[in-house]
Amino acid sequence: MKMSDAARLQWAQAMVVTGLVLYVPANVLPVMTMSIVGTVEPLTVLGGVEELYDSGLWPMAAVVFLASIVVPFLKLASLSWILLMHGKPVLQRQRSSLRRIVHSIGSWSMVDVFLLAVLAAVGQLGALAGVKAEPGGFFFATVLVCSLLATEFYKPRMIWQTNPTP
Amino acid sequence: MNTTTVPDKAAGWLSCPDCEAPCRDRPLPKNAELRCTRCGVRVKIARGRHSLQPAWAFATAGLFVALLANVEPIMTFDVAGDTQSNHIISGVIELARQGYGPVAALVAFAGIIAPTLHLSAIWYVASACCLRSRWPAVHRVAAAVEMLEPWNLVPVYAIATVVAVVKLDMMGTVDWQAGALWILALSLCSLCASQAFDRELVEERLEALK
Repeated sequence: MKMSDAARLQWAQAMVVTGLVLYVPANVLPVMTMSIVGTVEPLTVLGGVEELYDSGLWPMAAVVFLASIVVPFLKLASLSWILLMHGKPVLQRQRSSLRRIVHSIGSWSMVDVFLLAVLAAVGQLGALAGVKAEPGGFFFATVLVCSLLATEFYKPRMIWQTNPTP
Repeated sequence: MNTTTVPDKAAGWLSCPDCEAPCRDRPLPKNAELRCTRCGVRVKIARGRHSLQPAWAFATAGLFVALLANVEPIMTFDVAGDTQSNHIISGVIELARQGYGPVAALVAFAGIIAPTLHLSAIWYVASACCLRSRWPAVHRVAAAVEMLEPWNLVPVYAIATVVAVVKLDMMGTVDWQAGALWILALSLCSLCASQAFDRELVEERLEALK
């Protein structure tokens, strides 16, 4: 992919803004509805975490909470900061290590998308138990792809570019 | 603007893999590392490794395990005598059937396609290096390994499976099947293969093949 650095910066900014906007429906809308023997229950990402916590499995609740709520938000927030600081000759070392951390933990947010896939696959027992995907899952996946593409577009070397005029 | 001087390898200059600043190359004692003076990332490490055979072995094992992980059922779920088992692909099919094509594509890519391509690419480059033969497009495949690595999300899939089992356990009876074990084995093979696939050693070997 041959792109000018200016275009890369613009694409990265567009991706981060899209991600931030879609973060809201991703967390407000239900990701799936689970129905067990008649009772239908819509589940948001946070609702799924609560359910795990209530059943006493707090380490697992913590993993899902970190991976699917904290990490996506931190990733978008750090990327916004890095992009806002573009061209300024300060804190460049900090920015590049932050970018590396964001890059390495980012993929763990996929845990929720895979969870949806596994549950949807086995939850097809007709009236007894059913798992249906809901729009929240789609927005959630879009947020992940947006932040992933933003890190791809904004190359680490671009942190070290400074504006010619102060 | 950015420093655009192309570092000359022959004159003892390396390019930082992260920020692309030129770094002075020097001989290193064993296990010492050379860090970029600008951004602090590791440019080079003298691991004292001489062989890509472990990477070759893990990639070969991983490719066989990947086949089994995709063919064997992962778990069976039982509610009042009604039973259903699943594979990695059945989640993809179900999501696509419910009208979430892009999400299904994402799961298929990160759970099946990228891990397989990643292991195949490691296998191809490691074989070429170990057999000392000039295979076509080896350099491009070596670049593809770097690109595919963050997309190999089988370890994340393994975690998701565990969480799914815990959730389903509240609703019915869940039983592990052989596929779950193969997914675990596939995560380990992928991690070990990419650890053993030493970037500098590969570059050195490919350079020697020319």
